[in-house]
Amino acid sequence: MDFKGIHDRLRALSAPGLIGADEPRRPDPADKKDKGRYGVAFVRVEAARIVEFLTLCRDDERLAFDLLVDLTATDPAADDENLWVGYQLLSTTQHQRLAIKVTLPKAEPAIESAAAVHRAAQWHERECAEMFGITFLNHPDPRNILLPDDWVGHPLRKDYVFPKEYRGISCE
Amino acid sequence: MSEATTQQHGNITLREERVLPSGEREFMLDVRTSDLEVNMGPQHPATHGVMRILIRTDGELVTGAQPHLGYLHRCAEKIGENVEWLQYLPYTDRYDYLAAMNNNLGYSMAVEALMPMEIPRRAEMIRVICAELNRIGSHLIMFGTYGMDLGAFTPFLYAFREREWMMALFEKICGARLTYSYIRIGGVFNDAPPGWLQEVEHFCDVFEEKHKEYVDLLMLNHIFVKRTAHVGVIRPDLGLDFGLTGPMLRASGIDFDLRRDMPYSVYGEMAAEGAFRVVTGRGEKGTLGDCWDRFYVRVMEMIESIKIVRWCLANIEDGPVIGDVPKVLKVPPGEAYVGIENPRGELGHYVVSDGGKVAKRCRVRGPSFCNLAVLEAIMPGTLLADSIAIIGSTDVVIGETDR
Amino acid sequence: MEHGNYVHSLLDGVAPDWVPGWAVVVSTAAVGVALLIAFVAVLAMFSVWLERKVSGHIQCRYGPMYVGGWHGWAQSLADALKLLMKEDLVPIGADRVLFVVAPALVLGSIFGALVAFPFTPGFFFADIDLGIFFILGMSALTTIGVVMAGWASNSKWSLYGAMREAAQVVAYEIPLGISLLVPLMVAGTFNLLEASQMQAGWFGMKWLVFQNPFMIPAAILFFTAALAETKRAPFDLPEAESELVAGFMTEYSGLRWSFFFMEEYAAMFLMSLVAAVFFFGGFESPFTHLAQRAFVGETAAVADLPLLYQLTAGVVLFAKALFGVFVMMWLRWTLPRLRIDQVMTMGYKYLTPLALACVLAAGTWEAIF
Repeated sequence: MDFKGIHDRLRALSAPGLIGADEPRRPDPADKKDKGRYGVAFVRVEAARIVEFLTLCRDDERLAFDLLVDLTATDPAADDENLWVGYQLLSTTQHQRLAIKVTLPKAEPAIESAAAVHRAAQWHERECAEMFGITFLNHPDPRNILLPDDWVGHPLRKDYVFPKEYRGISCE
Repeated sequence: MSEATTQQHGNITLREERVLPSGEREFMLDVRTSDLEVNMGPQHPATHGVMRILIRTDGELVTGAQPHLGYLHRCAEKIGENVEWLQYLPYTDRYDYLAAMNNNLGYSMAVEALMPMEIPRRAEMIRVICAELNRIGSHLIMFGTYGMDLGAFTPFLYAFREREWMMALFEKICGARLTYSYIRIGGVFNDAPPGWLQEVEHFCDVFEEKHKEYVDLLMLNHIFVKRTAHVGVIRPDLGLDFGLTGPMLRASGIDFDLRRDMPYSVYGEMAAEGAFRVVTGRGEKGTLGDCWDRFYVRVMEMIESIKIVRWCLANIEDGPVIGDVPKVLKVPPGEAYVGIENPRGELGHYVVSDGGKVAKRCRVRGPSFCNLAVLEAIMPGTLLADSIAIIGSTDVVIGETDR
Repeated sequence: MEHGNYVHSLLDGVAPDWVPGWAVVVSTAAVGVALLIAFVAVLAMFSVWLERKVSGHIQCRYGPMYVGGWHGWAQSLADALKLLMKEDLVPIGADRVLFVVAPALVLGSIFGALVAFPFTPGFFFADIDLGIFFILGMSALTTIGVVMAGWASNSKWSLYGAMREAAQVVAYEIPLGISLLVPLMVAGTFNLLEASQMQAGWFGMKWLVFQNPFMIPAAILFFTAALAETKRAPFDLPEAESELVAGFMTEYSGLRWSFFFMEEYAAMFLMSLVAAVFFFGGFESPFTHLAQRAFVGETAAVADLPLLYQLTAGVVLFAKALFGVFVMMWLRWTLPRLRIDQVMTMGYKYLTPLALACVLAAGTWEAIF
């Protein structure tokens, strides 16, 4: 199914937490400043209901999203008050993809861990947690994965300041 | 009868069982042996890069395995937010340095998804030829190093004989042997020099002959089969749960290949004509989804790549090799995730643009990162010598795992 | 004074009167030891060069080509010099005494085994009646040295190598000895010189391996068990390069490591010598037969054999042993490694029963014919 078909199916199943969709569009010829939105479509989901949403995507026989391909986060701008968490799903049987975006407040970014639905989420969430400071609730193994255990700060945030030194080694 | 008393001396527990009629006391000795925690890596001949795996063993039996990553973390994603779109290309070469062409292709396609432009057909053909040749090169390294891990030193050098030729071909087309930065946003950097396509055809002919050698020497070798069959079995549902992609998943019997099922570039036409088939594991020599199956899938995929290259050579036409891309590129605003079939699995690039010269987010989904997670689940219960076979069969490149 | 031993006689003749008898004996022994050490050292260096050339050619490359000119023959000399100049490291926490004794024990036991060998029909260090028994016993001592090395290194990986080595050697001693029983039955003697001499005949081709149809399986079994004893591929788990870095040898460097290395090639040579003597004719071959016809009369005593004949016989024996070494090297660079439980299964469940069956069948054949 294409994105429209998937979105319609999600709405038909009253997918928990589904807020809406964001599809690419051409620039509006009337508005000079509008550059449009290119790329790939995605659905927006509430942070509180993400686990149920993912479970539905996995278990429904028309959606059949059995692979969690990617789980990542984005810091849109230093002055933006939100963080985005993105999930990429893939169906090996139906040959379709779905991109999901969840918005979290930067002040207290916490979301339920998707590890219960897809074990692939475990390592991706560990990386998001250390890079962005997002707390994944009920994560089975919350340790740093790429950074040393005593690293201070969340590198991929836009307001991250590089440390001057680490354990006596200069970082200049 | 006196009641049982227990004394603890270090690891030994003494339990007094009973007092004999003669007045002697009888003890039960309980020696608690602790598991040996062995550190594999970061420097180790068999871990394919700087990776550390903490293995807990009880004698030769592995009771727990915990990979520790980050030794090769080079902040590729942070750099993506600080350099311009075109300047980021050399960084993409360096995550999976054994399949650099595929990395370039993945990144270029992700950025092209944000741009309303058309890639010239000749460029698409050359892209696919280069990507598939690189796939062969990458699988040859897997073939050679896996043999070396298991003690067969010679196939490694035979594999490198062909790989040297492949690298010479790439040197002719773009000047580099390992990190190419050749597949650019909009096409490829320059056209193939005269005679290059004929040499690629010659390479295909010779490679098909040599491939039989590889199959006989290592894949069907009795000792190799004994070392890899029934070892490290990944059930299909476990594979899907862990987000495995590529040969790891196909070896467990799941018939899914992005090139055929969700095609990109010219793979769609090829798949429609049935130019190549997708190799899946069949549990021929052992259990479905064991190390031998993963090896089998990769070795046989090399022949399928040859078929793809031949199709491209037959259908390539003259024309421009790069679209109209300005030197200082400003990508229109938007976000896109594009996943392509890398030799190790699905390489995904998630790019977010706000219309400027620099990306807002450049996320790399490295297949080796996801494939490595499965070790924690399949290694406990195997022998220590098997752990080498299992780690080798995941075919991880730490550059991609850590980025 | 005339003694059975040529060197002893020489020294006795040369020494002044005031030198006591036991001093001459000791110096004879010292000369013998020096000769043996020199022989093993040269043998090891040559074997290393041979291994590198053989592996190179199997792997489509040349191997050493520069050092010394022709095909890099002096490469081993250069490596030996480098090893001698290395720092003598003993790891922190290692058991110092065991760490130092282990390589010495390992090399010493192989020296001891080589003592019982006749290098030519007239030249040997000790003529032991229980020749082969002594050799097998001495070569088994290397295991103690290896386990010592693994334990004393204070490294978990070395310990793994040592554990595997102990298990493997114990498993393969049995088929090694039992498969040797077949030629021992046919030859009827433990003494190596006698066993070699009784294979003269059929123009120098009356080898033991042709005298009984069950000698061929026995030879194959012996060779396989010998591969396991000397820790060569496909049984090279104790020093599994790509798994355990260097197994029990990981923490050794410089001269101490070179002892282990020398021991490996000396042991390979030793096993090939045993196979050559007890299966493939020892000194006997068409060349020695011709040399015997040319240089030696019918009833020459062993000690008076002419030099040319002795040389021919010695060269023939060495050639056979070197061929065995070459086959071992060939196998190493072709076959992958077996896992430890597969090694043990093969040893206990397949080789030992086969060896026993061989002995039974060969004995029956001998009794009937």
